[in-house]
Amino acid sequence: MHVQASADDEQDWIRKALAEPVTRAQWRVWRYRAPAIVLGLSQRRRHDEIAARAGAALPVLVRASGGGAVLAGPWMIGVTVLLPSWHPLAAGALVDSYRWFGELHMRVLRAFGVDSRLLSPQELRDGDSRVAGFEPLPWACFGALSPWELVDSGRRKLSGLAQQRRASGIALVAGTLLWRPPWSMLCEALDRSDALEALAARTIDCESIRESIRKSAGFAPSSERQREDFASDLAAAIDAALASVLEGG
Amino acid sequence: MIAIGLDDGAWKDVEPGTEALVDRWLVGQGEAVKAGAVLAVVVLVKTSIELTASADGTIDRIDFAAGSTFARGVPIGWLRETA
Repeated sequence: MHVQASADDEQDWIRKALAEPVTRAQWRVWRYRAPAIVLGLSQRRRHDEIAARAGAALPVLVRASGGGAVLAGPWMIGVTVLLPSWHPLAAGALVDSYRWFGELHMRVLRAFGVDSRLLSPQELRDGDSRVAGFEPLPWACFGALSPWELVDSGRRKLSGLAQQRRASGIALVAGTLLWRPPWSMLCEALDRSDALEALAARTIDCESIRESIRKSAGFAPSSERQREDFASDLAAAIDAALASVLEGG
Repeated sequence: MIAIGLDDGAWKDVEPGTEALVDRWLVGQGEAVKAGAVLAVVVLVKTSIELTASADGTIDRIDFAAGSTFARGVPIGWLRETA
């Protein structure tokens, strides 16, 4: 199911779903009506300070999964998958749960002309943690890399993953950048304006990847309408892919 | 005594040297707990994980307070099983 909602609606849906034992796989694909900052669980102690800086127009929420802050908004597609603890896709190590989820995103995006690749644990272990010459920014989800996240050929991050493993079930979450987010909103709220250039350089979005192909083919850049159509079609395709994997339908 | 912590399997493919974070304890030292009760929440590789009691018992010791980090194979506390 794909829905237009707020980041708060998403967190509320997850919270309510995990309040009871999860008995079957469920999912939502989210398009966000308005911007919001979603802090990782361990950042909650900074909530009030960040909210004061963000102001009333930019809500600051805390999610129950780990990782750095996410700037949700119309420029991002979110995906939540809830699984019972016994589900085969939840079996195995924590990191294994990310793999199928990342692969599904990569497969769907490729069908839309968005080429990306998965970052393996070995590449993370052996590779340079710098991207485009900039050190990781762990306070921002998109500022650092984790296993099985999606990156482009320059290791710039396209999709971020996180999860929570509760006694009642497992929630996997993903966020994919559709077009370039206004990173200054996040940097200013977290008092890290100094890192704006680095965050922008360490990330990539679907539109930028597609535009590079369109330009080389001599096409004009996407219009606002094409942008919305792409986001809507991508949400529907992720939804269908999840239905196929989780329901076999 | 039963160790409270992450199974070794949870650390598979995790970058060597990575530590997990104790986000919070939901029980205190000396507290009686039932099997299945959530004892603590820890975070590893962007995953928040509830640690549950594997048996009825009493929290004997908390070795890692909330906000501290711990390495692979290290229990963060101990559960004394009810006889």
